[in-house]
Amino acid sequence: MDSILIAMILALLIPIYEAWQDDDIWQTILAFTSIATKTSIMMLVISVSRDDWSIGVVAVIILSVGNAGLMLMAHLIKRINEA
Amino acid sequence: MTDKYIYIIVALLPLASFILVFQVNPYHALVIRAILGAIAVLVYVILGAADVGLTEALVGTMLAVTLYVIAVRSSLVMRLGILKQNTPQPESYFTELVTSLKKALDKYHLRLELVEYPDNQSLQQALVSQEIHATCIEQQHSQPNLEAKYQTAIRVHRLFEIMQQELTASETTLTYVPIANQEHQ
Repeated sequence: MDSILIAMILALLIPIYEAWQDDDIWQTILAFTSIATKTSIMMLVISVSRDDWSIGVVAVIILSVGNAGLMLMAHLIKRINEA
Repeated sequence: MTDKYIYIIVALLPLASFILVFQVNPYHALVIRAILGAIAVLVYVILGAADVGLTEALVGTMLAVTLYVIAVRSSLVMRLGILKQNTPQPESYFTELVTSLKKALDKYHLRLELVEYPDNQSLQQALVSQEIHATCIEQQHSQPNLEAKYQTAIRVHRLFEIMQQELTASETTLTYVPIANQEHQ
């Protein structure tokens, strides 16, 4: 189980590097989406491995509501470039 | 309980905060703040604080970042008052001027907002009542050989300094208009 999680952490480092390097704001948002989803999936894996359902509920809420918040933020940032 | 992966995940938190601290563009910094929030949620949750993690995700990441984007959008802006043009000219000096203004402001992560006014009097009134930061009007043709076609009056001294430094185009003359910062009746 540990090796799965360590592989997921290594995969998490890829979008973190992308957010650090890229100058385009949309690439940064893309990296944020990737990180938000990956951390939620990691939480789900941990909740299954520990058999702790309160962690699983938090992960599911973040996975669904976090994406709605991201849409809102993307719309606000889109209007900066238009005006 | 002391799994090895916990140490690696906790080490991601200072990494993300360093990326956030060394970011200069305010919009990029806000998105990276959201990334920091996502990683913080993961750390809180694996250490057993599911309620703290949920609060960080909903308030710290979603609400705070969205409100900050709105705040930065409305404060990092230069409002330029212009006269309403009856005949829009696509290849005029004015579009060239707006392009060079935007280029100068981009270095300071500022945004340019054009506000149209029907006549010269309401334009000056808007500048005095601090509705806009600067006005840009076409110069009278007293000297036809003069290069500058437009006259830009700026009431914010810092913006005037930036423009003096960055604006190399000769389409406009720059003037600073000091306006007393007082309450209006």
